[in-house]
Amino acid sequence: MAMELTKTDDGNGVCTIAVSGEIDLYSSPNLRTAITDSAPTASKTICINLGSVEYMDSSGVATLVEGLRAAMERKIEFVLVAPSPPVLKVLQLSRLDTVFTIRDKA
Amino acid sequence: MPKTDINIDLSSEPRLLASVRGLIRTYLLNEGFDAERAGEIVLAVDEACTNAMRHSYGGNTEGRLRLTLRRNDSAIEFVLRDRGVPVPQEKCARKEIVAPDTEHLMPGGLGVQLMYSVFDEVKFRPGKTEGNRVVMRLKLPEKPG
Repeated sequence: MAMELTKTDDGNGVCTIAVSGEIDLYSSPNLRTAITDSAPTASKTICINLGSVEYMDSSGVATLVEGLRAAMERKIEFVLVAPSPPVLKVLQLSRLDTVFTIRDKA
Repeated sequence: MPKTDINIDLSSEPRLLASVRGLIRTYLLNEGFDAERAGEIVLAVDEACTNAMRHSYGGNTEGRLRLTLRRNDSAIEFVLRDRGVPVPQEKCARKEIVAPDTEHLMPGGLGVQLMYSVFDEVKFRPGKTEGNRVVMRLKLPEKPG
C-alpha cells in the first residue's frame, strides 16, 4: 500500500505525523520532507506515529535517524509512537530500537 | 543444481520496489515460509535492489536490474545483477551492527548489514569496469524423513 501521511499540530508545540502504508526508497523522501516541514511549529515534540506502517526498510530508518538528529540539535523531543511489528523488526535488526524514544501512545 | 523459479527484469525505478516485494512475499509464503521469516527475506532483497538503484546507478532510473530466484531442496538463492558502476568492496564488507550512542548516529550504510543479518551467505561480485552481481543464499531446513 502506498505511503500516506497525516499531520496534526496541537497548537502547543507538539506536531504528530501519522504514517501508514510502506516506507521505502520511493516514499521515504516524502516522510523526510514532512518531518522537516514540521520544524517551525514543533517547538517541543515531533511524534511519528508508525502504528499503521506495513513495511519499512533502511531508507525509512535513515529518515528517522535524520529526524532524531535534527530534533536533538534543536533540543526538542523526537518520539516514535506505537511502531508496528515490521517497524520494530527493522529497528531491532539495525540495533536502533534502544536509541529512539518509543511510546505506546502520543 | 538450483532451478530458476523466477527471473525479473526491471528498470531502476524506486516505485517498482513495492511490486517486487509483493511478488517475492507471495512466493515465499506459498513455499511455506512463515510470515515473519518471509518479511525478513523480503526486506533483505529489497535492500539489495535499493542499493543497486542508489549506488550502482546513482539514482538514474534508466538502468536495468535483473533479479533471479533459484532454489533446490537445500537452499534458496537470490541473484541481483546490474550494469551500473561497480560498488567498492569496502562498502560491501560485513560489519557488526552495534547499538550506536546518540552522538554517533549516522543515517545510511545499514542496508548491506541487514542483508548479511538475514542471509546465510552474501557475496558481492563487482565487475571490473561495469556492473555488479550480488548472490544471497539461504539454507533451507532439512525435511524430516
